[in-house]
Amino acid sequence: MNNRLRVLRAERGWSQSNLAERLEVSRQSVNAIETGRYDPSLPLAFKIAELFDLPIEGIFQSPSKDTPQ
Amino acid sequence: MQRTSAAGRRYLRRFAPAMTGYVVILFATTYAIRVWHPVGAALIALSALPALPLIAVIAAMGLYLMEERDEFIRHRLVAAMLVGLGGLLVVTTMWGFLENGGAAVHFPTFMAFPLWCGLFGLAQCGMNIRDRVQDKAA
Repeated sequence: MNNRLRVLRAERGWSQSNLAERLEVSRQSVNAIETGRYDPSLPLAFKIAELFDLPIEGIFQSPSKDTPQ
Repeated sequence: MQRTSAAGRRYLRRFAPAMTGYVVILFATTYAIRVWHPVGAALIALSALPALPLIAVIAAMGLYLMEERDEFIRHRLVAAMLVGLGGLLVVTTMWGFLENGGAAVHFPTFMAFPLWCGLFGLAQCGMNIRDRVQDKAA
């Protein structure tokens, strides 16, 4: 699932480890979500959205709206 | 370097004594059976004893899966365990037919768990390598 997590994190000057600490997950998790290798659960997606004070769809793009490669 | 989670540390605290116990019990029971030649219930008890710490290791793995709070780590572990399970089923099914046809020696079933552990570990290594390759390509 495409997302803006890397951009939002960079805007705040946070490293992956900083974000991982704030979300109480591993740095591996942040990396996997940023690269689209792993789609977070709904509770974690809400946690991410609340941390950035954005709606979920402001961070994660609906798979139905993904442009075909 | 990846920091071990609290659940991961608890797993190691459970795993280490269980494996130490396994080595001690395995040597002790093998020695006892060879020296005293027990029969009946004593033989059954001594023969089965080394399985107990391995059952404790399996329980520790199950507890770790339940206690790990990082959903991505849990997801990875389950995926690697399933790869290990699939590999174990493939190997034992193939081996069974080879054994049935007289083309292979008897497969000791107590080797199933170590074989699964090895395949589980290989699957984790494979996943890590794949992720690094994908990260570099991105």
